[in-house]
Amino acid sequence: MTVQNRPRKPGGHGDDGGAALVQSVLRQLYMTWADFESRLTQVPIIDKLYRGKFRMEDYHLVLLNHRQQVIEGGRWIALAASSISHDFADLRTIFLNHAVAEHRDYRMLEADFIKAGGTRDQIQRYGKNLGAEALSAWMFHRAAQPNPFDLLGAMYIIEGLGKRFADEFAQRIQSQLGLSDEHLTFYRYHAGADEDHLDELVEVLASGILDIPGMPDTITKTARVTGRLYLLQLEEVGNH
Amino acid sequence: MTELMQVYLNALGAFLPGPPITNDEAESYLGMIHGVPSRHRASVQKRNGVKTRYYALGPDRQPRYSNAEMAVLAIQDALKRSEVSVGDLEFMAAATTQGDLLVPGHASAIHGMLGAPPLELANFQSVCAGGMMAIKSAYLQVRAGENENGVACASEFSSRWFQNEKYEPALSDNEEDGAPIDMEFLRWTLSDGAGAAILESRPNQQGISLRIDWIDLRSYANLFETCMYAGSRSNADASVKPWSHYTDPSAAAQDAAMLLKQDFEQLYRMFPTWIAHYVGLVERGKIVVGEIDYFLAHYSAKSLRERMVRLLQKTGCMIPEEKWFTNLYTKGNTGSASIYIMLEELMNGGTLEPGQKILCFVPESGRSIVSFALLTVVDGKECP
Repeated sequence: MTVQNRPRKPGGHGDDGGAALVQSVLRQLYMTWADFESRLTQVPIIDKLYRGKFRMEDYHLVLLNHRQQVIEGGRWIALAASSISHDFADLRTIFLNHAVAEHRDYRMLEADFIKAGGTRDQIQRYGKNLGAEALSAWMFHRAAQPNPFDLLGAMYIIEGLGKRFADEFAQRIQSQLGLSDEHLTFYRYHAGADEDHLDELVEVLASGILDIPGMPDTITKTARVTGRLYLLQLEEVGNH
Repeated sequence: MTELMQVYLNALGAFLPGPPITNDEAESYLGMIHGVPSRHRASVQKRNGVKTRYYALGPDRQPRYSNAEMAVLAIQDALKRSEVSVGDLEFMAAATTQGDLLVPGHASAIHGMLGAPPLELANFQSVCAGGMMAIKSAYLQVRAGENENGVACASEFSSRWFQNEKYEPALSDNEEDGAPIDMEFLRWTLSDGAGAAILESRPNQQGISLRIDWIDLRSYANLFETCMYAGSRSNADASVKPWSHYTDPSAAAQDAAMLLKQDFEQLYRMFPTWIAHYVGLVERGKIVVGEIDYFLAHYSAKSLRERMVRLLQKTGCMIPEEKWFTNLYTKGNTGSASIYIMLEELMNGGTLEPGQKILCFVPESGRSIVSFALLTVVDGKECP
């Protein structure tokens, strides 16, 4: 399903308009997520994993292509933090902490690649695939806008992958390729560490950012575009 | 263009065959596969929470009713409470998962037995959502003014497919291990029964009616493989081979193609899509959570994982558990008939009051269908 052309009549049973608006944004984000997740398993490389036909080369390909994504992730969050005005300094702290927490994660991924039989040179020389170029350009474009809180929508999708998908993804790879936890530290770490940030998201959404004109719709739109481009970079694995 | 009619569920009926069967009695009705007690029975029964159910098989393990007969008995039960007589019926929609005959349709068998005049007919073969498809079909017929009334019914005779003899040809080499869980889960989950609803373009003159505000049904088969299925050995896309492609039906039976199976992995993958569909109905204002007095779910609140409950709470979509109404635990999971059997108990239980809102929810794991209906209790005397 898609959430486009949404009639403007939020439902729910929130008494005050602010809480109702937060709930409405959360509903749209969840609908966007579910649509994204159902399409995710249809992408050829993920479908292959679900069919039990994954090869070691496929795992290598995933890591090679994912690395750019992870490197850029820490950078666009940092850029987004710089774009947040002093009126929202508390939120800037959250973005900065987030960037600090993630900006070196790619090293874990490189180590996994090497343990799984790849070389450091190979992974460090591997460029962005065509979809990753589009995704990255989009993220940096949004992050450069003033007060780019619509990126919360992008984070909802990308972090959703960590908390809802990484564990199953890692399990399937391990069982099909006979790998141990030490070959999948990156996905294992994200499956375990990316706790459910729902409470934090509710708090941020309720902090006043939804009063910024157009922000509720922009958050959902950014989530939808990010989901689509994320799928594109998975569709384009190997095409760099 | 003719004006669309308001449509009311004016009478509900149900039929449950024989006495209630307890968890421990169930295996004596279905039989032990190769004489060995099922190793999955107790855990499946605990998981689905059903305490008693009904089987159209007698203690002698022989059928006492056909599927179509049960539907007729449910329709007659509804007609007893209806201001419409059997001779007035203009339309019938029937649903079942597996009818008595391969050909012709189940609805024809019911019409043939019912003693009704010639009427317009619709036949639905799906799984749980089939019952809702039948109601929607009758609703649209009456709403469009094509017919002034209609009966929708759904019936299931699952237990005949769960008899030990049905499993044994496929499991003869494996008797020590018994049947695998994907083949036995539904065996200890589904049971028999039928339900029926009379729909009209006017409310009852006496007593309450349930006005149909809307019925929403969507298939997500474009996103998922088959999940609850019979007629092939496996649901893996590449290996789907319909039972009719075997040289003869016994070859299909030996290959376990005839058994009703459940792929749990597919099932869990469907949940987010179903929840998102529901969340979308709230977001579009079709469902106003605070207005719902009864939530009739062909699903248990207890089966919702904690993360889902939190998500529903945070998004303002959680219907408090005290508003959930089900009789799955005492009357069994009767597939397409369940929603009628729940509505029958609620409507005829004497607790409904005009103005109350009833939300019905029927998901189908077969190949992923989700359906909702919103009903409002009305008093015919107060209707214009």
